[in-house]
Amino acid sequence: MPMKLAKFAFASLTILFLVAPLIAILPLAFTSSVILTYPIPSWSLRWFEELFTADAWRRAIFNSLIIGTGTTLLATVLGTAASLGLRNRLLFFCGSIRTLFLLPMVVPAVVLGVGMQVLLAGFGLTNSYAGVIIAHTVVAVPFVVVSVIGALAGIDERVELAAQSLGASPATVFRRVTLPLAMPGVLSGAVLAFATSLDEVVLTLFVAGPNQRTLARQMFSSIRENISPAIAAAAFLFIVATILIGLAVVLFRSMLAKRR
Amino acid sequence: MAEFIRFDRITKFYGPLCVVENLALGIGKGEFVSLLGPSGSGKTTLLMMLAGFEQPTSGNILLDGTAINDVPTHKRDMGVVFQSYALFPHMSVGENVAFPLQMRRLGKAEIAERVARALDMVQLSAFVDRRPSQLSGGQQQRVALSRALVFEPRVVLMDEPLGALDKQLREQMQLDIRDLHRRLGVTIVFVTHDQSEALTMSDRVAVFNKGKIEQIGTPRQVYDEPATRFVAEFIGETNLVEGVVEAVQGQEATVRLRSGAHIVSAVSGSVASGQPVFLSIRPERVDLSETRGEARNCLETEVTDSVYQGDHLRVQLQNAAQPLIAKLGRRSREFPPGTKVYAAFSAGDCRVIAP
Amino acid sequence: MSAVSSRTGRSLVLLAPLLLFLIGFFVWPLFSMMSQAVSDPAVLRLLPRSAEVLTDWDRKSPPTMPMQTALMEDLKAVDDDQALGDMVRRLNSARSGFRTLMSKTMSALEDTANPPADLVSIDKRWEKPEFWLAIADALSPLTDRNLLAAVDLGRNAAGDIEHLPADRSVNRVILVRTFWIAALVTFACAAIGFPYAMIAASLTGWKRDLMLAAVLLPLWTSLLVRTAAWFILLQEKGLINDLLQTLALIDAPLPLIFNRTGVIIAMTHVLLPFMVLPIYSVLITIPKNLMPAAASLGAPPWRAFLRVLLPLSLRGVASGSLLVFISAIGYYITPALIGGPGDQMISSIIAFYATGSANWGMAGALGVVLLIATLLLYSVYARLSTDEPGRR
Ligand SMILES: Nc1ncnc2c1ncn2[C@@H]1O[C@H](COP(=O)(O)OP(=O)(O)OP(=O)(O)O)[C@@H](O)[C@H]1O
Ligand SMILES: [Mg+2]
Repeated sequence: MPMKLAKFAFASLTILFLVAPLIAILPLAFTSSVILTYPIPSWSLRWFEELFTADAWRRAIFNSLIIGTGTTLLATVLGTAASLGLRNRLLFFCGSIRTLFLLPMVVPAVVLGVGMQVLLAGFGLTNSYAGVIIAHTVVAVPFVVVSVIGALAGIDERVELAAQSLGASPATVFRRVTLPLAMPGVLSGAVLAFATSLDEVVLTLFVAGPNQRTLARQMFSSIRENISPAIAAAAFLFIVATILIGLAVVLFRSMLAKRR
Repeated sequence: MAEFIRFDRITKFYGPLCVVENLALGIGKGEFVSLLGPSGSGKTTLLMMLAGFEQPTSGNILLDGTAINDVPTHKRDMGVVFQSYALFPHMSVGENVAFPLQMRRLGKAEIAERVARALDMVQLSAFVDRRPSQLSGGQQQRVALSRALVFEPRVVLMDEPLGALDKQLREQMQLDIRDLHRRLGVTIVFVTHDQSEALTMSDRVAVFNKGKIEQIGTPRQVYDEPATRFVAEFIGETNLVEGVVEAVQGQEATVRLRSGAHIVSAVSGSVASGQPVFLSIRPERVDLSETRGEARNCLETEVTDSVYQGDHLRVQLQNAAQPLIAKLGRRSREFPPGTKVYAAFSAGDCRVIAP
Repeated sequence: MSAVSSRTGRSLVLLAPLLLFLIGFFVWPLFSMMSQAVSDPAVLRLLPRSAEVLTDWDRKSPPTMPMQTALMEDLKAVDDDQALGDMVRRLNSARSGFRTLMSKTMSALEDTANPPADLVSIDKRWEKPEFWLAIADALSPLTDRNLLAAVDLGRNAAGDIEHLPADRSVNRVILVRTFWIAALVTFACAAIGFPYAMIAASLTGWKRDLMLAAVLLPLWTSLLVRTAAWFILLQEKGLINDLLQTLALIDAPLPLIFNRTGVIIAMTHVLLPFMVLPIYSVLITIPKNLMPAAASLGAPPWRAFLRVLLPLSLRGVASGSLLVFISAIGYYITPALIGGPGDQMISSIIAFYATGSANWGMAGALGVVLLIATLLLYSVYARLSTDEPGRR
């Protein structure tokens, strides 16, 4: 019995440790005060207003959406194509290529950032949307690859053979069978790519100019320089977005599961 | 029967492994041929080459007299049914069955009509809008079947289509498929490693072993007249008795067993006197009696064990050093162990097989 | 056969775009970062003519006339005092006496009234091949200086590797600190994560789902949001200090932010999911009846745990720990926002060199150290997670 109690206490405290910080920040988004502390004197939406009207924040949100969209498109197209290519196990070097595709997840962002800055400067791509999108795509692509490879691995190859034998040309098999079956994986890969881009700070610090400040970058410098409840409001938006994205991924996964 | 499919000296290597070796086989139009053999004997590989999923290393596959080696799968017009059903999980039953018709660009109305007819044929009309995952295994297999038949392909290929079903359902489906074959008259190549399935359904059975065909013939032929030891042992149960040919008279040979007894037996291949051979004697063709009867072949034996198995009585016998098995109808009387009995069988019920 | 090769061709066409993209924007940047670390074209840029002439020199004989003229031309053309200073420093460390020799030479060259005929006429030392040798070596665009400096080593006048003086030895402190913080965080994660995963694996239904959701929610939440949350909680007037003061457990606010405590707490929170999930995934594959089986064989619960459950779950703990450690050593954002100056890890120093002082050589060299450490650990991790003994 005391063992059980101890387990219960430990689990509850750990859950508290994991979740409480995220919950604690939410009400502060609605404070009317200029300082980020409890107790909250009165409620207001002024910080959301600030977020959407203050130039720096508005631009940051706008930039995040542009860069996130660009990254999602680029990473999803490249990652999906490559995952399809990796399906053919005839290629003996598939293993090392796969490792290469996943490596950007492992390499420390600062290291990549330094190299990226040197390189993009050479191309004249620093301080440009293209440069930021490229940098974000590098770190977002592994998520697409993992997700699409997972979905493809779940496709019974005989289903595609069956389609062929029923008269579908290879292109038709791809369009009517492979792609629809891999779609949940592609979509959740795209969602993860968007989330990665949205949250990326370090590479952005290195390659983006003042005109490409993203929301995450803006939050970073605002925590560092002049912290205000606008941070809490931005965090609130992020958490809401996270929950939506999480729901979307769960939905895609269950779509995938239902088909099996 | 006109020959429709011809495998012309087909050889297939996977790397250094020879999976199908110099194989020749002809299949007639409207025929139901089973490829029967143990696991790994190359049945699936042959079927995959016929469907165009694999290319033979050498040799030609002819369909209606023309080589189809270079015809891609989707232009071969063959329906394939897999053991795993291979239904499209993202399409409804109706869409699955409509798929081959859409590929052939038929009109909407005609597709609807033919899908309805095909599903009706397998009694699944009520399930048109269901997803495959919402069907039982047997129902999924019937959908796969109607999908492979709906576009009236020239040949239907089935790779162990009933392997995943339980025994009762499997037997029901065997009869259903045979019935469909009779009604539609379509050519069917059917892969199985279940011998009773092959015997039940086929016009002819090709027995595979290690990438070669050991024997091809009607179910009766492969069962009653096994050409090789492998066929005799693989299909049904048999008693294999060693002996030496003493004399050959036309379709019969006299064989002397090691115990000294003489047996007169039908001959499948060609044997010469003095040649060591096996005799295959089917257990259910053996009669037991305590008195020596009229039969041409009669061995003195002793009962060592006798097991009641519901539909038959299985008796183990010992003739000199040679164990024998007899299966007796359930009306037969019991033989307690130790009883001395005569095991009798006619010349036509046993076969001489060259080793 | 043609079907096979066309399939291979198609695969290659599909793979090519990402492959090229990553080679161009992932491998190449890392490569150019490394080359920054070992390249030092400063002297080469200053003395292009000498470089040309010196390639023909046999490195033993006294300087020829063309060598002297070329060097004089080069020195006269120098207009960047900073670069000249760097070069002299480098040459002087290779050959002492270069500083005085150079200043004498430079002032003589500036004297346009009576220009010197050759270098030897300015100073006899220019006759000695040793000085020329130092220049010839410095002209090489490759250097190990930055890499050595990254681990607080340098070359002395004789060219031997030795420790840098204590006042210039900052990097080793930071490397040790980085690994130490990462180790502390890994330990904290393991200490919390292992029991947590065990409890979660022993539960069923909504309780297990709740425990997993509590891990996944932070994992999916933006890193910045989590760091911001901790920033707010840990402040002097933050929620934690408020709470402790209200409960009268402390009378003055605890210093929780801009110090090591804050960094460890926040990083543990951020990385805990990476510990829990691998352990959990190993634990759920362990058959439920093993512990009862051990008990039925006479093992008391704690021995059953030590002899059965712990060894089986060790692989999960190992891969979780590696994952946490790998992530921790490369961390930038959390230490940068929550830590004080004494808690900055190697990433912060790299960022400082790169963006603050534009010292690409040092940024690259430290980057190489971090990259190598990460890749080594990752290869261990990859091996650990591919060969799974007793499974498959
Ligand atoms: N793609 C392949 N690559 C290499 N070897 C293969 C391949 N496909 C089959 N084989 C080998 O070829 C041999 C014959 O395989 P095949 O699938 O034709 O046997 P089968 O008669 O259908 O057996 P089963 O009854 O088990 O289905 C086996 O030894 C198998 O391992
Ligand atoms: Mg097979």
